[in-house]
Amino acid sequence: MPDYIDISVHALPEGADSPNRLDLVARSLGFAGIGLTAHSPYWSQLAEQDAISGIEIVAHSVRDLRKKISHFRDSATILSVHGGDERINRAACSDERVDLLMHPEKGERSGLNQVTAKIAEKNGVALGFSLSYFWKKEGFERSRILALQHQNVALCQKFAVPVIITTDAFSHYDLRAPSQLLALAQLLNLEKTETTAALSDTPRSIIKRREQSWEAY
Amino acid sequence: MKPLQPTLRNRFRYVAFTISSEGFVRKRDLRAEVFRAAKSLFGDIGLGKLRLKLVTFDGTKGLVRCHYEHVIELQAILASIGKIENNRICVTVLGASGTIKAAIEKYLQIDEKIRRIISSCVTVPVSGKAVRMRGKEIDIIPEDREIIDRADVHFIGITIDDNERLI
Repeated sequence: MPDYIDISVHALPEGADSPNRLDLVARSLGFAGIGLTAHSPYWSQLAEQDAISGIEIVAHSVRDLRKKISHFRDSATILSVHGGDERINRAACSDERVDLLMHPEKGERSGLNQVTAKIAEKNGVALGFSLSYFWKKEGFERSRILALQHQNVALCQKFAVPVIITTDAFSHYDLRAPSQLLALAQLLNLEKTETTAALSDTPRSIIKRREQSWEAY
Repeated sequence: MKPLQPTLRNRFRYVAFTISSEGFVRKRDLRAEVFRAAKSLFGDIGLGKLRLKLVTFDGTKGLVRCHYEHVIELQAILASIGKIENNRICVTVLGASGTIKAAIEKYLQIDEKIRRIISSCVTVPVSGKAVRMRGKEIDIIPEDREIIDRADVHFIGITIDDNERLI
C-alpha cells in the first residue's frame, strides 16, 4: 500500500484541533502523515511545530502575492496559494517557487484555462482539489462546484499538470480514510492510478523537492 | 413461490464502518442520512442499483449492504456524510466482505474505547473546559467561540500530549 499523505490540513489556532490530535486521527485512518498548512494570517503561531509545515498564502492582489511568496518561501516546506481569483491563479502558476495552487475553482468561474494549465505544467505547480465540498456543501451549490472541478480535472489531464487531492480539513471530523478519498476522487473523473498518485506520490515529491533544495543550499 | 436459485440471486458486499461523532447517533437517523446522501449523490436510479441496506449499527460501528459491483460508490456516499442532527460526524470504512459473518469477524471485533465524561478547566492550548475523553483524545469547550464557529464544530480536540495535567 502506498504511503498516503494529506498536505492541506489546518490545525489550531485556525482549525479546531491540535496538530497532535489531527496526526493521531489521520494515522488511525491509514495515512502515513499529514502536512499542516495554515492560511497566511494564522501562520506565525504554527512555526515551531515539527510536523511537515506549510503555508497557504491568501493574497488580495498579484503584487501582494509575490511579496508574500518571497517572504514565506524559506520558512515553509509546502508553499501553497489560496486560489479563486483568476489573476491570482495565473500569477501563482507562473511562479516556480509555488508548490501548490489550492481550489482554483473557489471564485465565480473555474479559474483555469489552457494558458494557465500550460504555465503550471512548465513551472511544476501542482493543482490541489479539495474534496471537502462533498460533505460541506449540498444540492445546487455542490453540483456547481463539482462541475467546475470536472472541467479543471480535464484540463489537468490534457496538459499533464500534477494533481493533488486533499480534505482541506478544519477539524478531525473533516478527515476521511484514504480509500474513501480515492472513491470520491474517482467521481471527479480521475483514473484510479491518478487518484493514488494524487494522494501519495505527488505530495511526497513536493516535500522531497523542497528538502533537496535545502540540502543543496 | 419457489426461492431463487443461488446462482441467480444478487451478490452483495457488506461494508463495515465505524463512526466518530460529537453526540449520540440513533440507528434510524443514520439510516435516513445514508439514504439521503446516496440520493443526493447518485439520484434515484443510482440508489436503485446500489441495493443499500443498513444491516446493523450499535452506536459506534455497523454494517451496510450494497451490490457487489458498487462498493466504491458506497465508500463515496459514506465519505460524503458530514452532519447528523446538527452534530458533526465522520464515517470511516473498515473494509468489505461477502457475508455478514465474515464482515463481523474480520472488521468489527474491535474493542470499543469507552468515553469518559470529565470536567476540568484548562488553559493549554486554549482556555476552556475539558468535557470528554476517549483513549488519548480530549474534547474541550472553549471560552472563545471564534475557532469552533469557523470550523463548524462543537468541541476543540486535543490529545493528552498537549496537556499532560489532564491524565
